[in-house]
Amino acid sequence: MKTTIQEQDGYMVAMLEGNLDTAAAPETEKALSPLNQVEGKDIILDCTQLAYISSAGLRIFLVVLQNAQAKGRHVYIKGINDKVRTVFTITGFSNIFEFM
Amino acid sequence: MESEMNMQKSIVLTNNTRDVPRLNVFVEEFCQGMGTDEMVAMQVKLAVEEAVVNVMNYAYPPGQQGNVNIEAAATQSDDGNTCITFTITDSGQFFDPTAKADVDITLAAEERQIGGLGIHIMRQNMDSINYRRINNLNMLTLSKQIKN
Repeated sequence: MKTTIQEQDGYMVAMLEGNLDTAAAPETEKALSPLNQVEGKDIILDCTQLAYISSAGLRIFLVVLQNAQAKGRHVYIKGINDKVRTVFTITGFSNIFEFM
Repeated sequence: MESEMNMQKSIVLTNNTRDVPRLNVFVEEFCQGMGTDEMVAMQVKLAVEEAVVNVMNYAYPPGQQGNVNIEAAATQSDDGNTCITFTITDSGQFFDPTAKADVDITLAAEERQIGGLGIHIMRQNMDSINYRRINNLNMLTLSKQIKN
C-alpha cells in the first residue's frame, strides 16, 4: 500500500494505492493520521488506485470520518472501483460517506 | 484443466496478520484456477481474509504463537454447479465466530461500532458458513457456489 497526502484546491487529499488488507492497515492508519489534525478543510480519500479493501481498512476510513465530522468537516470518497464499491455497499458504508 | 492439478490447495500460516498477503494470493490463485470472475474472486478473498484474521486475533491467547490451516476444495454437483469451500482450522481455544450477533449497518457514522464487520462480510459474501469444534480444533467452513 502506498499512501500520500497533499493539499489540493483547498482540500486535504489522501491518495491510496494498492491493497488495503489487514496487513497493510497499521501503516495506512499511521500514514493517514495527519488528516486527524486538519482544521478548516474538507478531506478527499482518493481511492482511484485502491484495488482492494477489507474491514480493517474500512475501520480506518470510519475513524477519519468520525474525527472530521466532529469538526464539522466533510470526507469524500473519490474514484472507487466496482469491487471496492460493493464492499462499501454491503457494509452500509455507502450511506455514511459522500462520494465524488 | 492442467492448471487445476497443480494448484496449491492448502496453506499454513502463523497467527500474525502480516501473513494476510500470502493468504490472499493463495485464495486468488485458487479462484483463478476455478475460472471465477474477478468480482467473485474478490468476494471470496475478502470473506476468507475476515475469517482468518478473526482466528489470528482471537483463537490463541495473546502472545502465543499458533498455526492457522486453510484448505481449499472444489466439488461439483450433479447439475454441473461448482462449489468452492475453504476450511480454516486452528488448535486454539474455543472460538465460534458464527455465534456473534450481526452488526447494525444502518447506523450513522458517529454510532457505528468499530467491530463486527468481519462476520457480516463473511455472511454477505459466502453462501454458507459452518463452525465445528472437533478434537480440540476449531474448524470453520466457508462455501460458495460459483458459476461454471
